[in-house]
Amino acid sequence: MKSSRFFAIYLCYVLLQVLLCNYLNLTYYLTLSILPVLVLLIPVRYSTITAMLIAAASGFLVDFLGDGVLGLNMLALIPVGLVRNGLLNLVFGQEVFAHKEDVTIQKYGIIKFSTYIIIAQALFLIIYIAADGAGTRPFWFNALRFAISLPAGTLLSLFIADTLTKDYRDR
Amino acid sequence: MPRKSRTISIILTAAIFILLEVAALSMIVRGGDLQGIWVSRFSHRVMGALWGSSESVRDYFSLKSQNQELAQENYRLSLQVARMQNAIESAGGPEAGLVGDGFAGDFRFIPGAIVKMSKNKQHNYIIINKGYEDGVRPQSGIITSRGAIGIVEAVERNYSYGIAFMNSSFNVSARIGSEGVVGPLSWDGHSTNKAILREIPLQTRFAQGDTVFTSGYSTIFPPDIPLGIVTGSGIQDGTMYEIYVTLLEDHAALRYITIVDHTGRDEIIPLENMEANGEAKEETDEK
Repeated sequence: MKSSRFFAIYLCYVLLQVLLCNYLNLTYYLTLSILPVLVLLIPVRYSTITAMLIAAASGFLVDFLGDGVLGLNMLALIPVGLVRNGLLNLVFGQEVFAHKEDVTIQKYGIIKFSTYIIIAQALFLIIYIAADGAGTRPFWFNALRFAISLPAGTLLSLFIADTLTKDYRDR
Repeated sequence: MPRKSRTISIILTAAIFILLEVAALSMIVRGGDLQGIWVSRFSHRVMGALWGSSESVRDYFSLKSQNQELAQENYRLSLQVARMQNAIESAGGPEAGLVGDGFAGDFRFIPGAIVKMSKNKQHNYIIINKGYEDGVRPQSGIITSRGAIGIVEAVERNYSYGIAFMNSSFNVSARIGSEGVVGPLSWDGHSTNKAILREIPLQTRFAQGDTVFTSGYSTIFPPDIPLGIVTGSGIQDGTMYEIYVTLLEDHAALRYITIVDHTGRDEIIPLENMEANGEAKEETDEK
């Protein structure tokens, strides 16, 4: 997929996240975020620093346009950009970097891709929930929020990943 | 990627990560009251831990000087106690026991430190960082506030050599309780904190837990230094008790000591010799 097209779709999904933040408030226990998977799907040829900068910009945009505390999504998303290359190496191996090929569900299978997303989603949620609670909520509340948000976010992220990498599959 | 450029890349990545996170945190602090308090509390906790750790490290490295200060303080306090005791005992009033700096009654006290000490032999020795320039003389006692440690045997300009309590040829005159019976206390031969008090008559009453003190029946050690606690007893040759004592001072972990020198020893020893010579003469005459 061309970079310009990828980033156009990327921006659309960031705006979708703004809508999710503003209008999808089903319960306090659910935090739906597609931002981690968007950062994970940034083409492999981009460095960690670029990934972190894109993550920071995406987080800031959602915070700025959304209802939440300014800086919250940014704080939780930057570490995802930091660990992205390490996760790629851990889950898919060195060959991803050798061929500079983008990862897709079709190529690596749902299990590997789910692992990739779950780790990033968990990292994002831990930081997000902790910072959002600011030490005022009990541990069980945060744990329950994490336990509900992680599978929900992962399922939604898998769907997003499938549509974002569709171009590759159709080739 | 060459190693150097890889290191630079890692440092750069870390720096940008920290910068972005700090930016996000500062936005959170400004944006949300709760988050502001949370970040501030967290930063205070981190700063507290950092300062606490550095303080602990600094404390650890200053232990040596603190120990020296404590030893000096301990010495001064011991001297003060000895002077006070002497002043109380003496009929001439509180000034009677004071002779001069470092003196208390019949004894002069010199603080010092052990520079070398053997522990694994049957005849162990001590080397102390005080010599004749500091006023140390042979046959001075080596003590702490919790025990008799040894006797000075030879003195050099700045160092002294002494035989340690953990020496099979060493014994100190000791008594059980403040008014009890006197006998020689010597090392048990293997432990660093065990000793045996011998030649205690069978009619003597004592109990486990009784304290053993120096008797003061010598020109080497002052009286009433607590040496150890009675932990058991046995009968020696059917005629005497031998009492097992756990020493208060662990002789394996010594560092700072006090050297005690009896000021009247030069007068007492000729008298002892005269007495010994007199007995020998009487025996010769009788023959």
